[in-house]
Amino acid sequence: MTAERCREWRESLGAEALGQLPDDERAALEAHLDGCPECRAELDSLAAVARLMPLADPERFDAAPQPPPELAGRVADAISSERRTARRRRRRRLGFGAGLATATAAAAAVLAIFAIGGGEEGPSQWVAFSSLPRGVKVDAKLEPRPFGTEIHMYVEGVRSGTLCRVTLHGPHGVRMSAGTFRYRYGADQEAVLSSALDMSRASAIAVQVGSRTFVAPVGSGSA
Amino acid sequence: MPPGALTRERDVREAYAAHAGELYGFALRSLGDAGLAEEAVQETFLRAWRAGERFDPQIGSLRTWLFAILRNVTIDLGRARAVRPPVAEAGVEPAVEPFEEALLAWQLEEAMRRIGDQHRRVLVETHYRGRPYAEVAEELGVPEGTVKSRVYYGLRALRVALEEIGYDG
Repeated sequence: MTAERCREWRESLGAEALGQLPDDERAALEAHLDGCPECRAELDSLAAVARLMPLADPERFDAAPQPPPELAGRVADAISSERRTARRRRRRRLGFGAGLATATAAAAAVLAIFAIGGGEEGPSQWVAFSSLPRGVKVDAKLEPRPFGTEIHMYVEGVRSGTLCRVTLHGPHGVRMSAGTFRYRYGADQEAVLSSALDMSRASAIAVQVGSRTFVAPVGSGSA
Repeated sequence: MPPGALTRERDVREAYAAHAGELYGFALRSLGDAGLAEEAVQETFLRAWRAGERFDPQIGSLRTWLFAILRNVTIDLGRARAVRPPVAEAGVEPAVEPFEEALLAWQLEEAMRRIGDQHRRVLVETHYRGRPYAEVAEELGVPEGTVKSRVYYGLRALRVALEEIGYDG
């Protein structure tokens, strides 16, 4: 059996690939390699790895540097703001009727007043729902808006057509609906909802998926 | 649009969770500056998001695709840095390695971090520090044959780790 016969030689192949084998042992190994293509192939393969080794810096073997935790949020924010811009552009391209355009302008003016009134847009926040049934995924992203809070819902792993109801919880038992949506298998699972509750006042988000309700805390850091 | 395309914000977030650490580690190694490395990683995911519809897992892995984007980003950042006025006394500009070489070095370092401590130890002592097997064996309290065998299995483990990371040389 090749494996048995080669066993003692195999363990010399690492040293040989790294040029560490003493001359007498190397001569004996060479004799074996001449008659054993498997060991020769193994040596070639290890030598390819060994050739890379001088490139690396052993000082860097200990711990991999990690990006700062807040970078994830900055990436999410950059993408959200880009998407908003794209959506606005798309809306404009579709060409609203004159009446609608006026209405939109009026709405924009109202929103602008709210914005000046302190509705400064802060960072968005990802909310994780824990203790979900196996196979079910529920995530939400909350974005502060002048009108309240925009909520991006992502649901996966439930029956297609399941009705989902989203509510924001505020102080003193305040409950503000953010609306409903249906999960459809195979469709883009993102649903965009809005609630009038200011994000800085939101303490929790509740998502009713079918007959189950999941609640996750919302950080107050954005206040 | 191919199935598995990177079109939703959540896809990007999952890609970030899976690969940001590696991309950052490599960007830091090749750019030599934490601020630039963060900028490079952010720009990489932003471009990935913009081009998300074109990502096709049938053609190549997400990691390979992201590293290809990072490659372009680091080139652009390097160019932007080149036209900036030279940095004051503050410091030595990091030496700019060609991307492929930096990537190979980083892949090997990452592979080294993934193999077992015992394997890494003998490779560092015998190869990088050039110490004789007998000395290393005595220090570790094992027979010389064991050091030799660990060098062999260490190289094999390194080969497997490199394949996992996407090294295809």
